[in-house]
This record gives sequence, C-alpha cells and structure tokens, in this order.
Amino acid sequence: MDYYVLSRYAYLKYYFLILYYRLTEYPPAVRVWAVFTAVCLILMVSIVLGNVVRVIRASADNRAVERNREKYAAKVKEVALTERTMEPAEISELLNLPKNFKMHERQNRHFVPMLIELYRRYGSEMNRANWQRVLQVLKMPAYFDAQVRSRSKRKRVVAFKNVADMDANLKEAVASRYLFTKDRKLQNNARLHAARFGTSYPFKVLLDDPNLVFTEEMVVKYHNVLLYRQANGMSMPNFIHWCNRTPVNEELRIFAINEIRLFRRREDCPEMLSMLQNSREERFSCALIRALGDMEYVPAEKEFCRRYLSASYTERQQLATALGQINSGNPEVLKFLEDDFLQTTDAVTRMLLLRTIRGYGEIGREAYERLKRETPKAFAIFYEHIECDLIDSSRYA
Amino acid sequence: MPEWVYDAFSYFVMAYSAIILGSYVFFAILAFLEHKKHYTYHDDDYTIEELKKSPYTPGISIVAPAYNEEKTVITNVQSLLSLDYPDFEVVIVNDGSKDRTLELLIENFELVKVPYAYIEKIKTKPFKGLYKTKSDNPAFKRLTVVDKVNGGTKADASNAGVNVVSNKFFVCTDVDCVLEKNALYRMIWPTMASTRRVIAVSATMRMSNGSLVEDGKMVDPRPPHDFIPLSQDLEYTRSFLIGKTALSRINAMQNVSGGFGMFDREVVIKAGGYDGDSFAEDMDMVARMIRYMCDSGEDYRVVQIPETCCWTEGPPNFKVLNRQRTRWGRGLFQFFTVHRDMLWNRDYRQYGMFTLPYILIFELLAPVIEFMGYFMVISLLVQWAINWNTIWIAFLGLYVFAQLLTVTIISYDVWVGTSFKRRTDYLWFVLASLLEPLFYHPINVFFSLRGYVKQILGTQMVWGNMTRKGVQSAKKPAAPASVAQAKSAEAAEAAASAENKKEEENAHA
Repeated sequence: MDYYVLSRYAYLKYYFLILYYRLTEYPPAVRVWAVFTAVCLILMVSIVLGNVVRVIRASADNRAVERNREKYAAKVKEVALTERTMEPAEISELLNLPKNFKMHERQNRHFVPMLIELYRRYGSEMNRANWQRVLQVLKMPAYFDAQVRSRSKRKRVVAFKNVADMDANLKEAVASRYLFTKDRKLQNNARLHAARFGTSYPFKVLLDDPNLVFTEEMVVKYHNVLLYRQANGMSMPNFIHWCNRTPVNEELRIFAINEIRLFRRREDCPEMLSMLQNSREERFSCALIRALGDMEYVPAEKEFCRRYLSASYTERQQLATALGQINSGNPEVLKFLEDDFLQTTDAVTRMLLLRTIRGYGEIGREAYERLKRETPKAFAIFYEHIECDLIDSSRYA
Repeated sequence: MPEWVYDAFSYFVMAYSAIILGSYVFFAILAFLEHKKHYTYHDDDYTIEELKKSPYTPGISIVAPAYNEEKTVITNVQSLLSLDYPDFEVVIVNDGSKDRTLELLIENFELVKVPYAYIEKIKTKPFKGLYKTKSDNPAFKRLTVVDKVNGGTKADASNAGVNVVSNKFFVCTDVDCVLEKNALYRMIWPTMASTRRVIAVSATMRMSNGSLVEDGKMVDPRPPHDFIPLSQDLEYTRSFLIGKTALSRINAMQNVSGGFGMFDREVVIKAGGYDGDSFAEDMDMVARMIRYMCDSGEDYRVVQIPETCCWTEGPPNFKVLNRQRTRWGRGLFQFFTVHRDMLWNRDYRQYGMFTLPYILIFELLAPVIEFMGYFMVISLLVQWAINWNTIWIAFLGLYVFAQLLTVTIISYDVWVGTSFKRRTDYLWFVLASLLEPLFYHPINVFFSLRGYVKQILGTQMVWGNMTRKGVQSAKKPAAPASVAQAKSAEAAEAAASAENKKEEENAHA
C-alpha cells in the first residue's frame, strides 16, 4: 500500500479549502470575514510562538552573561588594574583560556555587558595597554569588525556604541565605510567613532559635509568625544578654524564657540570679538557673547555696550549676564546698566540687570543700595528676591 | 421598523467596521516600524551615560499640582526628588488644599516662605507665596512649592507652575504618579535627537494598582488584579504602544497625557497655557500648541516614546470610572466645539487633515454608532430576526481580532523593554482582553454618551476627587509616633472622607 505524505503547505491549503467549501452557502461578506478571522488566528499563534522563542533566547543569553561575569569579571578587573603591562599569553593564562582560543559571535556577545560594566566603573584607573590586550585576547576587535560589516543595521549601530563604551577599537578601513552612508544614524555613529579614535584630522568630515545635520544629540556626543581625546592626550581641533571655514553648518559654528568656552581657549577671544562685530545671526552672536563673558574677556565690554541698544530681547539678556561676568569695575558700564534698569519695562530683564549690578564689585553694591533707596516701592519685591539666598536668581526666566 | 432601515444600517456598520479595523491594522504596522526603529537605534544605557557627562544636557522642570493630597504627597514628592537626572527642579503647586498638604510639605522638607517676584505670564488665580528649603540636603534644594488660591481645575494650578519654572522644558505630572527613575533621560532625548523642534513628548503610562512601590519608587511593576484597573491598563497599553506610537511616526499625535508629558515652555506660554474651562485640558493644550506653531509657520514635532515612564492609579470601581469617562466624553465633545475650525483645515497639516477627522469619526461618533448597534441587536432579538448562522462568525472575527491586538501589544512591550519582571504577568492582560469586549467596553460607551448628553445640556460639572486606594508598599507603614498623631491622622482621614462625600453630593445635585 502506498502512503502519500503531504507537505505542511498542502495541509494548510486543505484546511482552507474545508473552510471555503463549508462557507459556500454564505454571502461573500461572510466568506471574506471568515478568511480574515482565520488569518488573524494564524497571525496570533505565530506572534505568541515568536514571543516565546524570543523570551527563551533572552533568558539563555542572560544566563550566559551571568556565567561569564562570575567566571571572568574579577580576573579581567585584576589584569586591567595591574600597573605592569602584561603580555597577551600571560593574560590568556590568567583567564584560563586555551592556547588556540577561538570565539563564536554568540560567545563574544556574552562578554560585552561585563566589559562595558568594568570599563564604566574602572575606566579612569585602568592600565590602558592591559585593557586593550584583554580585549584582544577575548577577540573583541575581530568581533566588532564582523558586527560592523554585518547586514543587520542594529548590529552595526550597536557595535559602534559598544566600541565607544568599552574603549575598544575597529580597523579604520571597516569603520570608515559608513562615514557618508545615507542612513543618518549609522553615519553619525561611524563619524563619532572616527572622531574618537582618529589620529590625523578626524573632524574634517564634519566640515566637508554640505548636508550635515548637527542636532543637539550630536553636540552632546561630540563634546564627550572631545573630552575623551583631551583625557587621552590626543590632538584637539582648532575650533576657531571651524567657524572661519565657508560654508560651514551654523549649528557646528555655534558648537565650536561653545567648545572654546568649555575648554577655556582664551587665545581665541580676540578673533571671537571680531566675529561678534560682524555677526548678524542671533544664536551665533549669543554663543559668542556667552563665551566672551564666561572667559571674562574685558576688551569685549565696549562692544557689548555698543551692541546692547540695538540687540534683540534674548541677546540683551545674554549681554547683561556677560557684562556681569566680566565684572571689570568700569563705572561707565555700571552707569549703562543702571540706566537700562530704570528704562526697561520687562520684569525678567530688570531682575537680570539688578543681579548684574549687585554682583558688579564694590561700586556695583553701592549702586544697588542707592537704587534700592531711590526706586519706587513696587520694585521692592525684586530687591528682596535678589537678596534671598534660598532662591537661585540666576535661573530666573 | 421597515426592513430597508435594518439593511442600510447593516451596510453602514459593515463599512464603518471595515474602515476602523483597517485603521487598526495600519496603526499596528506603523507602530511596528517605529518600534523597530527605536530598537535599532536606541540604547538606554548609552544615552544615559552620554547625558550624564555632558554640560549641554538641558534642564527639566517637573510641575505637579496637588489638591488635598495629604495622604500621599510626601512619598510622592520624595519619589520625584529621587529621580536620576543632572539638572532638574520639582515644582509642587498647592492649589489651595483644604487639608494639611502644605503643612506636611513645610514640615518634611524644612520649607520657608521666600520673597519671590512672581510674573504672571499665564493668567491664574492669585498667587499666595513660594516656598524653598532651608535645609542643606541637596535633593531638597531642587524642590519649590507654590501656594495659590484654589482655581477649581488642574489647568489653573499647572499654569501657576509654568509661570515659576526656569527650564526650557517642563514635565507636567500628577502628584500621585510614580515615575521611572530614568524617565527624564528618556523624555529629553527625542528633543535632542530630532532635527525639528519638538514641542511635546509623551511616554507610556501604566496603572500602578497592584504594583509594589517603596519610598515612592517602583520596585515591582505588576498588572492590577481588579477587573476595572486591569482593563484600563490594557486599554492604556494599546493606546500608547499602537495608537500614539503610530500617530507619532507620522507626526499626527492627538494628545499628550495630562498624567505625564513634557512640553516646551515657551510654546505653552505663547499658546496661552492650559485652558481652565476645558474638560480635556491636555488634548486642548496640544491642539493650541500645534495651532500656534502652524500659524507662525514653524515646523514642529510631537513625539511618543514607547518605554513605560510613569505609573498612575486607575479608577478602582465603576463609580470613579463613570466620573472619569463622563468627563473625558464631555471633554472630547467640548474639544470639537472649540477647535472645529482646525478640522479638515490644511493649514494645520496632518493634525487638521488626518488626526482630527479620525478622532471625530472613530472616537467621538463611535459610542453613538455602537449604542445604535446595541439597540438594533436588541430590537432584532425581540423580533427573533437574527441570523444565528452568520452572527457567530461576525462575533468570533471581532473577538479574535481583539485578541490579536492584545498579543501584538504584549510583543511590542517585550520588544521595547518589558515593564513587567515576570512574563507570566502578561496572562492577566490576556484575561482582561477576553472579558473587556463583553463588560468593560459597553459600559464605557454608556459613560461617554452620558458625557455628551451632559455637555449638550450644559449641566454644570463639579470636579470630583479621584478616590485613591494607594498602591502596595514594599515596606510596612510606619506607626504613628504618638497617640496624638494617630488621632490627628484619623481626624484628617475622617475630614477628607466627609469632604469627598460632600463633593459627591454636590455633583449629584
């Protein structure tokens, strides 16, 4: 007797046909609805099974990560914190790894959380050479190279982030392949990687890209990259050069000015002042004013006073704060601030000016007391507000 | 009734159902794409590490109005103060509470009244004073308490908070909400990553009934084990993980929840702040912000993030649910009378051309059509004219579709980083989804219709208190230090319950 074995698709077709013929006496709408119901059922079962598989895999992964943590974390930490630079063979022996140690992608993945955790916690105290050798022994660079080359977008992005998170490294040829990719997020990650580890002029890609989109997210990340470079004694960019390049993204110019302020590059102040004299764009001017004020560049005072009368609302507030920060003790500036305090009708500006006057050295304190006596009673709340130590009046908006 | 009426109604319902089911499928696909994008590019730990180190991380203010919250205010303020973020302030607005809310805040956080120059950028009921701590505790220094005359609405209190906040973005929440520790990092990130100006950010909210909370922190999030909050939890999850996520993808979000949402302060002030007369003040606020942005020709985004950032206590019984849903129904009706000019208006982009028509047809009109459907079914039952051979297929299809949606949201929730520690907790969702279409949904239809009728008749509405059971605490409650304290606590509780009773009576009157 011959047995004929049907494929699973044939079985599925068979059930659909049963459904179809059972419903032939029903109107078309009901038949369509029945098919819709069957499709929903199949989808539902598939999603449930998919979830179950995903949950099982995730818990297996977690167990493997825990196992690695228990087995290696203490030893890796010990190696990374050792002052003496160790040889890879020695590290391998200490970690009890076999001589021809090879890793599968999945095994490497299970090491990643532990390594990131260790680097975050002990990164500042580590012997960098030993750390890099640990990563090499565990075949992490090769793993990340493979991940960045993989077809999955997520794997690529995650690989770039993990490399940054544990101070690993990638082959330059591999990392640079996404510097101009269409996928903006991936492109940003690749560029950040280049900026973090590049040795020649890694920021050139930012200056040369006419379609650059420089969001606040990038501002945060690039600043952290610059901190990393500074901490590791790597070359730092010339920010003022970024501003002078044409055409350069406006956001990038503002970022460059803010970085000059945060890295206290006082030698750039004269050039920033001349930029301010020619600047018409409000946000860029505000960044310049904030930087010059924060670095207490006294020659900027004159330009600030000149600019003040024709400045916009936001710019005025920046100028008043910057004049207070410079705090040169110049009576003319103080007179200027006092006059504006009496003329302005905006309460926020008034508070800001009053705070600046009060902080403007000894003469400022005297002027403040005089204003307190002379101005109408309605202003009393402003003085009380400024004098109250419990209120942070610099945050008043 | 003539037969053609039944036929016409049947065809209408078929077409309406087909479109509504189609839209659900469309939303589920859009939400899938959005979750996939989020999963591909977002890494919570990496984001937090980057933001922690950076001096560019923007400050955030948290505004939480409090009215007669003496039972929970201290724990909840402690919870807000313990959030993890480099630069944030907490502004509690005491909206003229009649209980000891303000006194308790003053006692526990060592507050003193300070001479604050209050500028009323948005009109509110009179400002009474501002309190800051004199303690050296750095966490307490983040706290500001605003005391004002009761305005009768949450909107008025929120506006007073907006007048005081000093950061560019503020989070509006309720004092009883429990926030996720990293909520602020998650909320701020979309504003930084977007190329367009993000005017509001919404995050997934869940029910805290049944969860374990310790010192105002969520220790063990669990699904509610009572039917009403459980059904509402399922409803919220479906709405946030499918509806809002999908709408966020096409920049057509209709609403940022009043329970937890982040807003651009400048736009809120320019849009005139919250409307105290509105029963759906959160939806109204978003509409007015969008109106302002579109009128001034600026590009904007309203974003929904999928991770659960906030837990709130859901209505524990039908009485409270009735009050809540009637208000929502009323608010929706009122919203369309106020913002009808935005409907089908190209000037308001996706919001005017897609979101508002969708809400009008499938949210505002849905209870009316469903009610007519119930009426038809009953009338057919009376006449014994139901075709039993086909109706079971129709019901089965709808039921299976509802289950499919539930399974989909569970898988989305697991995908974006599950909020429940035990996977078996999702079985409660499955249970709720089996019962919800039979009991919970029809009741909500009735409550919504009640709201419409009240709005049409112009019945005056009194804002009833939300009766709170309080969430489970991981620690045993501390015993009162003295008999006097215990007595005063009892007296305060009795006074509060009397107050609630009085308000209930007023509402009925």
